[in-house]
Amino acid sequence: MGLAACGGGEDSGGSKTLRVTLVNHVWTENIKKALPEFEKQTGLKVEVTQLGEDQLSDQYNVKLNAGSSDLDVMMYRPLQEGKQFGKNKYLADLTERSKSDSAFEFSDFQAGPVQATTYEDKVVGVPIITESEVLYYRKDLLKKSGFDAPPKSLDELKAQAAKVEADNPGVAGFVARTGKSAAVTQFSSFLYSFGGDFVDANGKASVNTEQAKQAYAYYGGLLREHGPENISTDMSWSEAMAIFTQGKAAFYTEANSLYKNATDPAKSKISDTVGFAAFPAGPAGSKPYNVPSWALGINDQSKNKDNAWKFIQWAAGKEQSLAQQEAGVPGARASVWANPQAIATYPKDLAEATTASTANGIGHDRPLVVKVAQAREIVGQPIVDAITGKDPAASADAANEAFQKFLDDEAK
Amino acid sequence: MSAVTTPVTRSPQAGAGPAESGWSRWANAHRKWLFAAPAMAFVAVLIIFPVAWTGYLSLTDAEGSVRAESEFIGFQNYLDVLADTDRFWPAVWRTVLFTGVVLAVEVALGMAIALLLWRPFRGERWVRVAILLPLVATPVAVGMMWRLIFDPTIGMANQVLSWVGIGPQPWLSGQSSALPTTMFIDIWQWTPMVVLILLAGLTSLSDEPQEAALIDGASTWQRFRHVTLPLLMPTVIVAILLRGIDALKTFDILYATKGRGGGSFHEVETLNVYAYGLSFDYNDYGVSSTVLIIFFLIIIGVMWALTYRKKGLDR
Amino acid sequence: MKPSKPFTVFRAVALAVVVLALIAPLLWMIAASFKTNVDIYDTGKAFVFSPTLDNYDNVLQRANYVQFIGNSLWVAFAATLLSLVLGVPAAYSMSRFNMKKSALVVLMARIIPGVSLLVPWYYVFSNLQMVGGYTVLILSHMFVSLPLIVYIMMGFFDSLPEDLEEAALVDGLTHIGAFRRITLPLSVPGIATAGILSFIFSWNNFMFALVLSGADTKTLPVAIFDFVGYASIDWGGLMAAATVVTLPIMVIALFVQKYIVSGLTAGATKG
Repeated sequence: MGLAACGGGEDSGGSKTLRVTLVNHVWTENIKKALPEFEKQTGLKVEVTQLGEDQLSDQYNVKLNAGSSDLDVMMYRPLQEGKQFGKNKYLADLTERSKSDSAFEFSDFQAGPVQATTYEDKVVGVPIITESEVLYYRKDLLKKSGFDAPPKSLDELKAQAAKVEADNPGVAGFVARTGKSAAVTQFSSFLYSFGGDFVDANGKASVNTEQAKQAYAYYGGLLREHGPENISTDMSWSEAMAIFTQGKAAFYTEANSLYKNATDPAKSKISDTVGFAAFPAGPAGSKPYNVPSWALGINDQSKNKDNAWKFIQWAAGKEQSLAQQEAGVPGARASVWANPQAIATYPKDLAEATTASTANGIGHDRPLVVKVAQAREIVGQPIVDAITGKDPAASADAANEAFQKFLDDEAK
Repeated sequence: MSAVTTPVTRSPQAGAGPAESGWSRWANAHRKWLFAAPAMAFVAVLIIFPVAWTGYLSLTDAEGSVRAESEFIGFQNYLDVLADTDRFWPAVWRTVLFTGVVLAVEVALGMAIALLLWRPFRGERWVRVAILLPLVATPVAVGMMWRLIFDPTIGMANQVLSWVGIGPQPWLSGQSSALPTTMFIDIWQWTPMVVLILLAGLTSLSDEPQEAALIDGASTWQRFRHVTLPLLMPTVIVAILLRGIDALKTFDILYATKGRGGGSFHEVETLNVYAYGLSFDYNDYGVSSTVLIIFFLIIIGVMWALTYRKKGLDR
Repeated sequence: MKPSKPFTVFRAVALAVVVLALIAPLLWMIAASFKTNVDIYDTGKAFVFSPTLDNYDNVLQRANYVQFIGNSLWVAFAATLLSLVLGVPAAYSMSRFNMKKSALVVLMARIIPGVSLLVPWYYVFSNLQMVGGYTVLILSHMFVSLPLIVYIMMGFFDSLPEDLEEAALVDGLTHIGAFRRITLPLSVPGIATAGILSFIFSWNNFMFALVLSGADTKTLPVAIFDFVGYASIDWGGLMAAATVVTLPIMVIALFVQKYIVSGLTAGATKG
């Protein structure tokens, strides 16, 4: 503190100390290792604050609200906070900077992710990490039950889950997130694959369409009938992942970015037998989400924007993106995905599954609104109701009404 | 507590008497406020602005960002919140339930343990240390520890149950078991505090009424019920008061075990957690401030009722 | 009254159960901090496992905990010291002049829900360019310590007989002189109690530190969450971190248990 810029013109006198706030993530670990190189190049001192996901967002809420200038570079979740930050003008406009730099080559970033980091036609963030949903499965259990390939469709998934569960007492056929809010993102791929979405083309709530009702019934029913015994309705990825990596479930739908939890022998009992497949097709085909989970932005109140941009140029630049991808963090640059060397370290089936999702993926995994947390709770309610055996159709009708009211309120 | 009666040898050089400076005379004359005012000012300065701000926000429709423009809407938020049977009243109920249950159990259990520790025995020192440990442990760390112990698949709690032939329980992750489980954690951590308070009270009781009752042929239970308990009642109220404020405001344990929103069904969402969620998850600052003001009033009300009761007992 | 034999046996058994219930989870936490994540996940290895120091290596080396320990120590120490300076005279005055309402002003700090303070504080302090440094962190922790110290010391002064001060006045000391030379030295046990408790509560504080600490000033309870990542929870590291946070305070508690007990119970016995 105390090193406030001395004003005078467009932050020309920016501080030599750059304050970067990052989330606990493999990406962050990697970037921290490479930091000395950046500091040497630029002569800047980078001060990294690293926090858990919820704590990070708490800090942003307090600091950005107070109009604080002591955040420079911010790692944020475009789909969770992007609209809120954009609406409140928390993020600096990066349109000029991003497009004027030819070496950075902004056009190299995939269109979907870039759309999520754009607010009202202004670029406000640079996507750094992407995620899509894939199917995790147990090769050994499938083989034992006589299946030589993972399910291609949701119907097959149900049938295989039932068979494996029957053949292996104590092992659930299927596990996935069950928490009202946590499950929404992983449920979204089911919703899309049944042909639904949270909001229709006219901007109206659409979580009670026939397709949506089927999706809720399918997801909840699968967990209810073939999920773990005494299923909790509060599981986020960590609980669901623990069940899968303990060898207590045959199938698991989850974000590809979490794969190391399953393949790392230090964390997983089933690291040798885990397989990955593209998201199974529903009536509308295989439509997993494919989203930018994290992006870098600059605090609009920062007095050090030039240097902040230098950091983003470096951290989201081609070289670092490639290094991250090689280290197992899927990025948003098309050139990196085209580079065979970049995905050589991935399990082969995971790389294939991911490529498939990139091709036919949907660019959002939750309702695109300002108050995402609230919206997730509304559209997540039928998931929980379906798991606990209530009528998913009735619950979807109720949720739709609440969601429409929410959208109307937000439009005001 | 440690009543000090050490004799002090008065130092002869202390007699500075008549040679007082003007400042010293002034200071001595005004020592009451000279001593008390800085601490009061410190708290007042840190508290007045936030309370005024919260009060103001509760009358506006502020949301998204507190710096964004907001409209003055009078008491609309209060009407909305008090009519909200979906989140607000359940949160009030949970707060009351949580506080009531943990207080009842902590006082009952604390009383039992304090009675066990009352008379001296060998190893007393070590037992007291053991009792102190949960109390001084960092609540966030404690929350994390219990989260792992109560994990339905990999936790120790279900493992222990399986040894005695009981099936796995959902603990923190069950819709109906989460709140009792967090109560259990609170009871684990704070019963020791009640024990220590009651023990201090017991130790200060004189033995005479006990012995008189013994001579009258009163049973152990009768002696406790009719002699010890009435004498100890003021101390019990102090324990309830101290624990009550903290129990109403419980946050760290709930945050560490269930995160924001208190679970899928808001099953552990107390008023404090609800207000936190409104601020930090929904950015609904107007409503959040309203809930906070109501919450504040509830705490003051409870405090007032208890102090009032205590005064009645003191007489 | 000498306890009967059956009672002694019953008491021993009951106390053993109580002690076990209180200690076992903590011991288990410490045990888990010496396990690999795979061993933690394996409930069959609850007691038998090959201990590893990797988690501590992570916590102390990689996660910079040494610095956070230093931060926690400094913040708790400074907040306690300043709170004592403000709080002890205040408590004295409030006790001697029976200033119930004024005491309530200070105790208000303990009653108000912390959530309502965060955003306003941050707003003010960031406009004063104070955020991220130790100053604001210490101020916020004083907010926790001060009411505690005032409450404990009021109870202490209430029970401290006034005759000695009066005698000192007769000997020609001023009121303030009597407070300094007679009352304060007699209050050392009470001050020790209040100071230790204030230190513990400051050390354990989470909510204020979460938003008011910066990268270099982060305290231990906040740093615990470093082990909850976006894509993994490192339970071994988390338990080691929890142990590192809790152990120092427990060791302190062991050495000063006499004072803590008298402080927690201050005011309890005066009815």
